[in-house]
Amino acid sequence: MAVRRKLIKERVPTPERPAEERIHDFKEVNLGYTFELAVKEAERCLQCPANYAPCIKGCPVHINIPGFIGKLVEYRDDPDKAVKEALKVIWACNSLPATTGRVCPQEDQCEMNCVMGKVGDKINIGKLERFVADYAREKGIDEELLFEMVPKIEKKGQKVAIIGAGPAGLTAAGELAKLGYDVTIYEALHEPGGVLMYGIPEFRLPKSIVESEIDKLRKLGVKILTDHIVGKTVTIEELLEEYDAVFIGSGAGTPRLINAPGINLNGIYTANEFLTRVNLMKAYLFPEYDTPVKVGKRVIVIGAGNTAMDAARSARRFGAEVIIAYRRGEEDVSARIEEVEHAKEEGIKFEYFINPVEFIGDENGNVKAVKFEKMKPLDERDKRGKRKIVGTGEYVTIEADTVIIAIGKHPNRLIINTPGLKVERGRIVVDENMMTSIPGVFAGGDAIRGEATVILAMGDGRRAAKAIHEYLTKKREGKENA
Amino acid sequence: MYRILEKKELAPKHIMYRIEAPHVARKVQPGQFVIVRAFPNGERIPLTPVMWDREEGWIVLITFVRGKTTMRMANELKPGDSILNVAGPLGNPAPIEKFGRVLAVGLSAGIVEVFPIAKALQEAGNDVTTLHVAPAPMAILKDEFTESVSRHIFEGFEIQEGWGTKEIVAEIARRGAEKVKELLSEENFDFVLTVGPAGAQKAVFNVVKEFGIPMHADLHPIMVDGTGMCGSCRVTVGGEVKFACIDGPGFDAYKVDWDELIHRVGFYTDLEKRALEEYLKSLRGE
Ligand SMILES: Cc1cc2nc3c(=O)[nH]c(=O)nc-3n(C[C@H](O)[C@H](O)[C@H](O)COP(=O)(O)OP(=O)(O)OC[C@H]3O[C@@H](n4cnc5c(N)ncnc54)[C@H](O)[C@@H]3O)c2cc1C
Ligand SMILES: Cc1cc2nc3c(=O)[nH]c(=O)nc-3n(C[C@H](O)[C@H](O)[C@H](O)COP(=O)(O)OP(=O)(O)OC[C@H]3O[C@@H](n4cnc5c(N)ncnc54)[C@H](O)[C@@H]3O)c2cc1C
Ligand code: SF4
Ligand code: FES
Repeated sequence: MAVRRKLIKERVPTPERPAEERIHDFKEVNLGYTFELAVKEAERCLQCPANYAPCIKGCPVHINIPGFIGKLVEYRDDPDKAVKEALKVIWACNSLPATTGRVCPQEDQCEMNCVMGKVGDKINIGKLERFVADYAREKGIDEELLFEMVPKIEKKGQKVAIIGAGPAGLTAAGELAKLGYDVTIYEALHEPGGVLMYGIPEFRLPKSIVESEIDKLRKLGVKILTDHIVGKTVTIEELLEEYDAVFIGSGAGTPRLINAPGINLNGIYTANEFLTRVNLMKAYLFPEYDTPVKVGKRVIVIGAGNTAMDAARSARRFGAEVIIAYRRGEEDVSARIEEVEHAKEEGIKFEYFINPVEFIGDENGNVKAVKFEKMKPLDERDKRGKRKIVGTGEYVTIEADTVIIAIGKHPNRLIINTPGLKVERGRIVVDENMMTSIPGVFAGGDAIRGEATVILAMGDGRRAAKAIHEYLTKKREGKENA
Repeated sequence: MYRILEKKELAPKHIMYRIEAPHVARKVQPGQFVIVRAFPNGERIPLTPVMWDREEGWIVLITFVRGKTTMRMANELKPGDSILNVAGPLGNPAPIEKFGRVLAVGLSAGIVEVFPIAKALQEAGNDVTTLHVAPAPMAILKDEFTESVSRHIFEGFEIQEGWGTKEIVAEIARRGAEKVKELLSEENFDFVLTVGPAGAQKAVFNVVKEFGIPMHADLHPIMVDGTGMCGSCRVTVGGEVKFACIDGPGFDAYKVDWDELIHRVGFYTDLEKRALEEYLKSLRGE
């Protein structure tokens, strides 16, 4: 154990690229810690005992946080060893740390609970996790660990199909492969990763990092079939004939539209389309890349979640003036604090308490303005604890030549139309073992929750993998006894 | 990766690719499509399996060389090469019911998509007449149609000097509408089906409407994923917003908002032109 240290109240900052520079490209904004800075931050951690540490409780997959942070300090004289030991601790619970370290809303999870917050800044757990994963990847330490792990896997001789290669499916696949199952992922798009690939932009989560995290799964023996749309290319029924169990991690990919006149005018994108063009298809590199995207001089983004921030900041990088229009107030914004701050630094304007009622077009069918109704908050709160709002009957019209709708998504219709699959409010229903109404078919992530978070999807994937393991163990033993 | 087993130029600008894609061949139904990405920096474009062999695991795609992607495919892909991605089958099958006498109209390259549907309709006991309207050198699949349906009509025309795409498309619309009017006036049909450029489909629809005959139109809005997750392909049908890739691509022509569709497919025209120009420049080594 590390020796007692004096309390360091202030967080070691992570370097960031200045706003004036970064709005001209899609390269990562936050540059992360170096080993020296990481150790300095790690030293601030009080090393609360694992059975008490509130940060662990706040993490949806219960990473042993003081455990991995402690390794950085313990082996500070041998950076490679320090990172290897820390990564081992993280991998026990989380197979995509370079991703979660970047995109988790730590302020609402592990960091929210950190006791250091009582005397100073909370420990920067997310950036430390990210550091461990990045350093390991750059030095090939993750490969080394995998190389040690793979030969120890004992083959079970049973097959599992996973639908969707987002965080839920990837995590379930990884866990099941480690347990010795023969795992195949069916992915509709041409790249695995789900929202990590098509939704979250390069400047927050470089695609090369997602690709390398997925490559590790391949090395664990996971097969990935892209271009396979379950419900079209193959049905769940057919999968059940070939596989011993199925996991659905198909996410919540269907965009919600606003039911207002003019919604189909040219220049109105759903955030999903806009971000897919920009991220997955790399339209920001047009015409070097073939997929086009059109960003006008003035862009209005409707909504205030992570998706809205990502769409707004992406549009900004095309040189547009960008306004985020939200029907509630600043305190109700659901995006991560870090991203809202980044958006503001990048010069994105926020307009609160306005709700679109009409999209106005020019004579060529292109959008030219959005008419909003002004809203006001009530004292009452809704089920999610947000203030209720009502229209005031007053209107305001804002001109724009591009509009991006980011008001949320529904689960994918191709999957939820499966006969016999119980669905409520568009979400797949599962029991306490993550099993759906079809025996042998499990589900998790946004497909059961609606739009949630990466780490919750991963937590579901892990839990489902455990449940599938139990289910298949019984099946296997049943066969052996028969 | 999906291997190209055969590649052939059927007519000017019409390239046929026979591609190994067992996952699509096993399932595809007339009216469904695939999304193809041919190059690492390429875009995803929707194309239609025209023929397939479920056992041998191949599908035939026929592209009309229109812009950068279809031209790059024509120039750069050889038999034995592979196409990076072929996703599908996507969309809903066309209605294959017993309608009676059917007129199936392929406007320009739309004829390739008419083929599997017309053939299935004939096999289902319909008396199918197919009509292909296109510039004269672009008559394709004549023998295949003649073999598969009751009657195949090719309505060709000469491209006049100085005509560009705009004039050609206008001529297709004009000729298509005229020929359909003639057929519907002289004979009784129970069902009309069209595939082709939105403007030309609308022109044909305006004629069919006068006769009050049920009409099914396969729409071509711009698509990205083809699986219902982006809404790029949205169209207004019967006053409701529909996603053509999962609710279509075929719809009741009487319910389609044609003008909106025509606006939407033209949204990227300037960028498409630019992509093509840059590509042509690079071919010239500039
Ligand atoms: C723009 C954006 C930004 C976000 N930012 C954050 C953030 O900063 N932090 C955070 O924690 N969360 C964020 N989220 C939410 C988070 O990304 C999701 O909660 C998470 O990705 C859900 O994971 P999943 O595996 O359930 O689904 P997804 O990531 O949606 O993956 C589902 C996969 O299934 C595939 N699929 C769908 N249907 C089929 C089918 N029929 N057959 C085969 N494959 C299919 C899809 O193509 C996709 O690859 C963001 C979401 C968006 C859209
Ligand atoms: C369901 C469906 C099935 C289709 N089947 C066939 C087929 O079998 N054979 C065939 O030749 N064509 C087919 N098309 C049209 C085909 O997708 C376009 O020809 C192709 O995308 C053009 O790409 P390009 O880069 O060569 O031309 P571009 O320069 O990109 O475009 C030329 C024209 O094609 C249209 N277009 C461009 N991109 C798309 C897109 N992603 N989706 C739809 N239209 C687009 C535009 O309206 C544009 O005016 C189909 C379209 C749909 C929607
Ligand atoms: S709560 Fe904070 S101080 Fe305590 S172990 Fe966790 S990160 Fe360290
Ligand atoms: S193409 Fe994206 S929803 Fe249809």
